[in-house]
Amino acid sequence: MSLDEPSLARLMAASQRGDRAAYRALLGDCRLWLARYFARRIAPHQIDDLVQETLVSMHRKLATWDSGRAFLPWLAAIARYRWIDMLRRQRDEAELGDNDAAVGAEDEAVHARLSIDRLMTLLPPGQAQAITLVKIEGASIAEASQICGQSESLVKVNIHRGLKKLAQLIESE
Amino acid sequence: MDKVSIENLIDGLADELQPVPPKKMVRGLLWTAAGWLAGAALLLWLYGMRHDLAAGGMPALSMLSFWLIAATGVAAAWSALRMGLPGVGRDYSGWRWAVLAALSLPIAALLLAVGDGHAAMDVARHGLDAHCLSLGIASGLGVGAALFLWLKSAAPTSPTRAGWVIGLASGAAGATIVALHCADDNLIHIALWHGLAVVISAVAGRLILPRFLRW
Repeated sequence: MSLDEPSLARLMAASQRGDRAAYRALLGDCRLWLARYFARRIAPHQIDDLVQETLVSMHRKLATWDSGRAFLPWLAAIARYRWIDMLRRQRDEAELGDNDAAVGAEDEAVHARLSIDRLMTLLPPGQAQAITLVKIEGASIAEASQICGQSESLVKVNIHRGLKKLAQLIESE
Repeated sequence: MDKVSIENLIDGLADELQPVPPKKMVRGLLWTAAGWLAGAALLLWLYGMRHDLAAGGMPALSMLSFWLIAATGVAAAWSALRMGLPGVGRDYSGWRWAVLAALSLPIAALLLAVGDGHAAMDVARHGLDAHCLSLGIASGLGVGAALFLWLKSAAPTSPTRAGWVIGLASGAAGATIVALHCADDNLIHIALWHGLAVVISAVAGRLILPRFLRW
């Protein structure tokens, strides 16, 4: 396992040349990095799906990494794109509620730039609280409604509006 | 998705790996330049060059407008090309400064219209200049197509912004091309009809392109 930038960049450069062993190692490392990246951004039961989607996107867009630039910001940009896409789908489909607990993760330089905690401070308190309770901590709508004192419909509206604004904020980063 | 299926996915992706040449900005840049030149060549071939350009130049105000709009187009095209190679922390906002500088054109035109009734009346008398407007929009399509194809094959992480910037670059390229043909040196005419081509192209880019740029 080699989650440092120079090792990942070397593996990526070899992958672009068609080295399958290097690519398999790179995907394995990226899988771990992405799981940690998404851990504080989405509900735990969605992490594996999003990691998978991001690996497939990365595979399709291998040619867009330039060996003259760092690898992790490139990977983070693709991960962020998939994350925004998932937020949009959630907003559109209004998939609400689950009961998983959040998983902690260590921040890194690239993570910190898009920290969900920092982004939450940019949302109105009602929206941030509804998203944190339901989408990150895994509370149901009814539980969130009791905890934050908002009606259930207001919790849903706040999640919908908050996710929309969150996607815009992430895009503008 | 469980642990086993992610590992299967990784094996599957690794098995189908083929060598991929990295995308180079210079290639996109060359296609964009070719689109710009092709648009200019086609327009000048069909409609001809303004008479004083062949004789060595154009009035200072028209020249200044030309370069301001050209700078906007170059900045927007460069930003669009950069958007194809993503990276958290990369700055794609260079085009905003060029737009800010180019806004001096409509502001100056507005002040001129207020202070010089003759110039405004002259433009008003001619009414809608569909010729300059439509040629401005059409001439930039080569640049728009080159940037769209570049981004379509790349990885723009904000398709909405990419749509805006492609449209802006396309419109600004078209406005510079039409300036080589249009002999009207009235600043109000340039800001209104050439500028409107830029605005319409940018809005069209925003409305039409994002859905095709998602990946």
